[in-house]
Amino acid sequence: MEQRPLRIAVSKGSLFGDAVELLTEAGLDTTGLADPGRRLIISNPGVEFIIVRPTDAPVFVTYGGADCGICGKDTLVEAGLSVMELVDLKFGYCRFIVAEPEDARGVAEENYERLGVLRIATKYPNITRSFFEEKGVQVDVIKMHGNIELAPLVGMADRIVDITATGTTLRENKLRVVDEVLASTARFIANSASVRTDARVRELAARLEELTRDRDVTLS
Amino acid sequence: MIPKTPRGFRDVLPTEAAWRRSTSDAVCRQFELWGYEPIETPAVELAAVLDEARSLDNTAAQFTTSAEAPFRFFDSDSNLVVLRPDVTIPVARLTATRLADRPGPFRFYYREPVFTERASTYGQERQFTQLGIEFIGRGGYIADAEVLCVCMEALSAAGVRDYTVAIGTVGVLNALVGAACDDAAWRDRVLRAFHKSDMVAVDALSREDGVKPAYGDAIARLARLRGGAEAFEACRALCEPLGCVDGLDDLERTYELVIANTDAGKLIVDFSIVSSFDYYTGLVFKAYAPQVPASLVSGGRYDTTLAAFGRNEPAAGFAIGLERVLAAIEAQGATPPESGAQETLCGDDPYELFARAAELRAQGVRVELGGE
Repeated sequence: MEQRPLRIAVSKGSLFGDAVELLTEAGLDTTGLADPGRRLIISNPGVEFIIVRPTDAPVFVTYGGADCGICGKDTLVEAGLSVMELVDLKFGYCRFIVAEPEDARGVAEENYERLGVLRIATKYPNITRSFFEEKGVQVDVIKMHGNIELAPLVGMADRIVDITATGTTLRENKLRVVDEVLASTARFIANSASVRTDARVRELAARLEELTRDRDVTLS
Repeated sequence: MIPKTPRGFRDVLPTEAAWRRSTSDAVCRQFELWGYEPIETPAVELAAVLDEARSLDNTAAQFTTSAEAPFRFFDSDSNLVVLRPDVTIPVARLTATRLADRPGPFRFYYREPVFTERASTYGQERQFTQLGIEFIGRGGYIADAEVLCVCMEALSAAGVRDYTVAIGTVGVLNALVGAACDDAAWRDRVLRAFHKSDMVAVDALSREDGVKPAYGDAIARLARLRGGAEAFEACRALCEPLGCVDGLDDLERTYELVIANTDAGKLIVDFSIVSSFDYYTGLVFKAYAPQVPASLVSGGRYDTTLAAFGRNEPAAGFAIGLERVLAAIEAQGATPPESGAQETLCGDDPYELFARAAELRAQGVRVELGGE
């Protein structure tokens, strides 16, 4: 059976530039990938890149739409799908934090004492639930799709769980960090069947590991 | 309303049903050729029975518990029952109870629907069919090799041409993890990271404070150790100085016996294989086809499971996922068997029609009766 091209899912957005650079360094033919225009699939000899929304990268890899891919740890945790997480690529650093309005110090605690439940607005309901579950804190999760910072400012939630790289957006909206949930960087992920049946996936993982081993963690 | 099946369940139409039947027949025939006998267990189990198997001292108990089974309900006797999420535990229960007075070994096979919640691209996310064996009452590498050979021959019999069986042992990892750190919570996190195939977390955990560096380093390397026979030497070089080679000699003997009797190119050693079912105590393995994004087979040795039901005997086995095997053979070019009638008989005299059809059936021809 002739071997089909290796298919790699690359998250568009903030991780994209670093991902393309690293894949090129790893020796893959990334012609046309850096500037794909509206194309979703870039086919080069022996390798195919599919450009996906960051939250979809683990989905493509789990269901075999791609052999492997690059995406943030944050999306992996939120997706909760079964992929092999092979290499920490060290770029795209950000952290999940719990934040509340600077001028509402003590309000969340007060509400919690009165109601026994915290209202948390977030784009990441799974991460939020499991974080507070481990702490033994009851939460009402309010799922949002953007501008999470608004929720506590208008009194819709006590706190938010969100991603921050530098903290600028939080400061601009007068929010302060009250807890750390987890830190995230970009990861090389692969389907378990691909890892065990396709040497190209294993070789790529080894090359990426070698390239990034001694690097420091960076923002994207 | 539009009548439909519950989520995760589907009807199977004749062409596919015939294909499922012929494929599972071929697999079961191979089981029988190895001396395995059919066994059936009920579709429901008492929740307490499943949880009993879990009560053993498992460091990272993750196999399906009654709480994780998608269908749990009280029957009319007020017992909490579950639709069986796998067949291994029920067979262990049965062997330890109904067969308590009989000496082993036992070789059982089954073909049963099981009910768990899982991601699936084959339309059966809550009910799927397992074809499996349980070899109870024998331990050691010869029994392990038998189980692996049965698995590989069964896959071939099913028509899977292109597949890889990856084997490992939980012994080495458990020994390393046990010796590396006294903190039970840390051990639990390492095993969970392995279960989730999160090698980045394994790396990070292996470098944590309080972990003996040589052991931590070996754990991180073990996660990436795979290959042919040379993987045993690499593993020995890594783990022997640390005194953590539990199960390794047995695994190598198993490997040699299996490659001498099967297609050697289909077997690889992979120490990152630790099944998500943690009742395994030695050999663990999974089979993959390149065209299917999840394992076709999962199996291994579970020497302590029967003890949970009061019978202290070793056992090993595996389960083949029928839906995934069909996806593999279809992707590899197989086509479904002919299932319809080969001939249609027509005529005015129904007595003659029935008689002629009987003659054809006696010759093995599939015949249907046509219009009057």
